[in-house]
Amino acid sequence: MPPASDLALLVPELWLAALGLVLLGVDLFVGEQNKRTVGWVAVGGLLLALVPTWGLAGAVHRPGTTVFFGSYAVDGFAVFFKFLAIIATTLVILASMDYFRASGDRQGSTQRFEGEFYTLLVFTGLGLVLMAASADLILVALSIEFVSLTSYVLAAYLKGNPKSNEAGLKYFLFGAAASAVMFYGFSLLYGLTGSTSLYVIAEKVATVPAPALTVSLALMLAGFGFKISMVPFHQWTPDVYEGAPTPVAAFLSVGSKAAGFAVLLRVVAVAIAPSGLDYVTLIAGLSAVSMFVGNLLALPQRNIKRMLAYSSISHAGFILIGVAAFGGAFGNTGLLIYLFAYMFFTLGAFFIAALIEARLGSDDIPDYAGLSQRAPGLAFLMALFMLSLTGIPPTAGFFAKFYIFAAAIERSPALLWLVAVGVVNSVISLYYYVNVIRTMYLLPPQDPARIQEPAVLRTALWVTGAATLLLGLYPQPLITFARAAALLLP
Amino acid sequence: MVPLPAYLVLGALLFSLGMIGVLVRRNALIVFMSIELMLNSVNLTFVALSRHLASMDGQLAVFFTIVVAGVEVVVGLAIIVEIFRSRATVNLDDVDLLRG
Amino acid sequence: MGELAAFIILAIVTLLPAVVVVTSRNLVRAAMSLIPSFLGVTGLFVLLQAEFVAGIQILIYAGAIAVLILFVIMLTQGGTGTALRQVNEQQLVGGLVAGALTIALLGLLLRTPWPLVAGTLPRSNVAAVGGAFLTNFILAFEISSLVLLVSLVGALVIARREQ
Repeated sequence: MPPASDLALLVPELWLAALGLVLLGVDLFVGEQNKRTVGWVAVGGLLLALVPTWGLAGAVHRPGTTVFFGSYAVDGFAVFFKFLAIIATTLVILASMDYFRASGDRQGSTQRFEGEFYTLLVFTGLGLVLMAASADLILVALSIEFVSLTSYVLAAYLKGNPKSNEAGLKYFLFGAAASAVMFYGFSLLYGLTGSTSLYVIAEKVATVPAPALTVSLALMLAGFGFKISMVPFHQWTPDVYEGAPTPVAAFLSVGSKAAGFAVLLRVVAVAIAPSGLDYVTLIAGLSAVSMFVGNLLALPQRNIKRMLAYSSISHAGFILIGVAAFGGAFGNTGLLIYLFAYMFFTLGAFFIAALIEARLGSDDIPDYAGLSQRAPGLAFLMALFMLSLTGIPPTAGFFAKFYIFAAAIERSPALLWLVAVGVVNSVISLYYYVNVIRTMYLLPPQDPARIQEPAVLRTALWVTGAATLLLGLYPQPLITFARAAALLLP
Repeated sequence: MVPLPAYLVLGALLFSLGMIGVLVRRNALIVFMSIELMLNSVNLTFVALSRHLASMDGQLAVFFTIVVAGVEVVVGLAIIVEIFRSRATVNLDDVDLLRG
Repeated sequence: MGELAAFIILAIVTLLPAVVVVTSRNLVRAAMSLIPSFLGVTGLFVLLQAEFVAGIQILIYAGAIAVLILFVIMLTQGGTGTALRQVNEQQLVGGLVAGALTIALLGLLLRTPWPLVAGTLPRSNVAAVGGAFLTNFILAFEISSLVLLVSLVGALVIARREQ
């Protein structure tokens, strides 16, 4: 039996699981008109979950510390992603509450199963936490599937809306196929090394013939690539982001992506890297292709959610630079910083899209015309998020990109070309991000009526906005935190 | 004793058949069945390797693959039924509101 | 010899229906073909001394999954729909990708020297599986119960009719 002290290291997970179950119960006793109560309980519970997580961060955990027979990691890396997952889930729930209410007001209907929506989001958050900490192939597979399943449901949540159903179906078929391919990769890796534990695999992987290892890595990348929307496993992204409820799209582009990167990095850094296989070239190539494909396809988009989807693909490319640069002094740190900063400005951009969609019933960028007069605060925040997505100082986006480029330069001269590709792509992306700002500030509004900003969503927006600015101006605490969390190997 | 590569090749053939179904067919239910074939080939590979390595881990992995497959059926078929209700088709060509 | 003959028969029983699944124009025929394919894999599990897995395979795959798929076919289009276009526009690319992957996989699997570990599987399959569930895989075991619960809630939300 595992020692009881193992459970003490699992308090955040246990708390989240209990919270999800409690929410299912609370939902039963809350009337159809007051489903926001469930959301508030969820937000409260999630914020409380930060307390034990903080406690874990305080205790120094050596890299490579695991519980439950080596299947579950409790290192700083895992703790970092616990924070990320909990914060992202909280913000998304805050945004969803007003999104549903505002959409309902406009359409004269209420969202069905709203309580279950918050519950599923909390469970997805738990899945993200589990993904980032799994140190065993079986647990990796199970936790990825946990997140995928709830995400399929969340994407298809707007039942009366054919686009949402379609998003759910596409996401499901693509995701299930990608997981099956990934499982096949797992089975080959198991056969080659005789174990499913990443740390045991690490000891044996040096004896594995390179072609077989390459193929199993490639098969596994199908599953991870699907989660992080990396080219060529990105095709679902625009369709799902457009069709899914906007807060869910936000959650997918931040939460699943971050946890996907956590898994990818843990598997590659812990289990594959000791083999001496040249995975860096492969990752660098995928990174460059993702940046180009995402950015070039984002250029002609009129729909803000599709534009953000392609932007999400190109950002996956940027973050992959961090994976390629892993092992250097900054590689891992750069990746963590990027993911953390990216969370805030991407969530912010999606939240504004959610608000506009709920109020105006439109996702089209031309309908943002004159937003600076109709809602000055919103326009300012959106401009901030767009600048941050481009990577212009003094925003968090600039600092994140700077760090990740520095990581690649420091790691190896062979990655300089990748940095050049990254810089070129930042310039390309300027065009479509700034186009949004131009539309908001320079074009006249079609309808001068002011846009009401719901209170809760506004809170979530200002939190993301403040974080975007603060991390850009004073990044030191995040750097310290990420540096402590970045050590993966003992 | 039948050698390990025989089982692995059989698994790979089954996997490829599923892959062809996923990449070529257009009906959501057929694509879904092809995915089930792929998962079966994963199971076969795991069990064959489990015997070869004389370790139970492979067989345990199969249980979790089966859980995943079962759960996917539940959620996936629910989505397919819902699509059919709103659209009266499960053909992916007709499910095309989302185009860029 | 007996084992080899059994293997060959089971391999045919597994692969032929799988071909039907992938190529058939008739949904019901495809779904029915899944069952022998699943049963063939079950037989192979028995050959590989994984009796407990074989039992579960019959229950879940041949029993639950295949039947559920048949149910959904009946719920949606009653097994018709043969007049619709059967393949997608990327047929050629998809076929080529899958073909290339197959050849690469086969070449790789045949050439790789698979590590051999001395030892035999435990005699009592069920006891070993049960023990592993409560030791090495206890966390995965617990998480799968959560996964099942959550997917149940999710499926109900999606599939329940609007009033």
